Amino acid sequence: MGTEQTENREKGKRHPDVKKTPALSLRHFPYDFIKWTAVPPALLMVRPKKIYMSKEAKKLIRGGAMLISNHVGFMDPVYLMTAILYRRHHYVCIKDFFERKVVGFFFRIFQCIPIDREHFSTESFRIIVDRMRAGELVVMFPEGRINFETNATESFKSGMVLMAVRAGVPIVPVYVQKREKWYRRVRVAIGEPVDVKAMYAEKPTFSRIEEIASVLHETEEKLKNICETGGTSES
Amino acid sequence: MRIGTKEERNEVFEALKDILRSADDRNPEAVENSTEETNLVTDLGLSSVSMLYLVIVMEDTFGIRFDDIGVQDFGTVGDVIDYIINKKGA
Repeated sequence: MGTEQTENREKGKRHPDVKKTPALSLRHFPYDFIKWTAVPPALLMVRPKKIYMSKEAKKLIRGGAMLISNHVGFMDPVYLMTAILYRRHHYVCIKDFFERKVVGFFFRIFQCIPIDREHFSTESFRIIVDRMRAGELVVMFPEGRINFETNATESFKSGMVLMAVRAGVPIVPVYVQKREKWYRRVRVAIGEPVDVKAMYAEKPTFSRIEEIASVLHETEEKLKNICETGGTSES
Repeated sequence: MRIGTKEERNEVFEALKDILRSADDRNPEAVENSTEETNLVTDLGLSSVSMLYLVIVMEDTFGIRFDDIGVQDFGTVGDVIDYIINKKGA
């Protein structure tokens, strides 16, 4: 199964369980309307400078996938959305935010996925897996909190690996550089998709799940260096 | 009060042990020595992610679907066996 998935990826095909999200749909209308209305001012404000880890990383992210990123501020979702503009992003957010009036409204419009950090349930896990299998791009911040203090990334929680393995989708690591001045361009480093299911077959052991999370964290550190030094290719 | 017959509980317990043997490569001794009273967190050292992993494999193995319960809701191996037997009987 793992080999078959790798072959499919090489041929540019999706995993058999992963469907394609329609480009236009009524369900996504409020999302698309607000997104494309906000895009021009957001692009002017952010002017994302995308830096790719390699040629492979430059390829478009197609079908269901999980995007993971460091989390340095409240604006990170905006930076990520402007950097990867061609996809609808669905953020995994703490449940409490959904109870706030304005924030909750936007979270629902953008079809974010609520999770209870203190009491993670099987239902949240299922929703995330199903959404990725339905061809959506789910975004997670595996550090589990906003890191206001430093530029260094903290160790990753391994739950995202399990979700990606179960859904049969790749994980795309991304690094967003902290914006020191409001007028500066935001640098976003994009890594190669990591085919976690192919790496460790159908049923990885607990320690292998932790291992993959560490490998992804190392990749994030590399992306951070690429972001700071310039990288191989930019746009 | 535990539910199910002794044979039924043994069958589920052995299947559960098999799952743990193949998944938990960090602590094989604790898995082998486990009983129904073994605590999942303190004795087996399972994290919330490991518990989630077990839930997935248990669903596939026993053909049941876990409710929207928190993965921290199980205390001991016996609690998991109770839940599985209850679900299989439902």
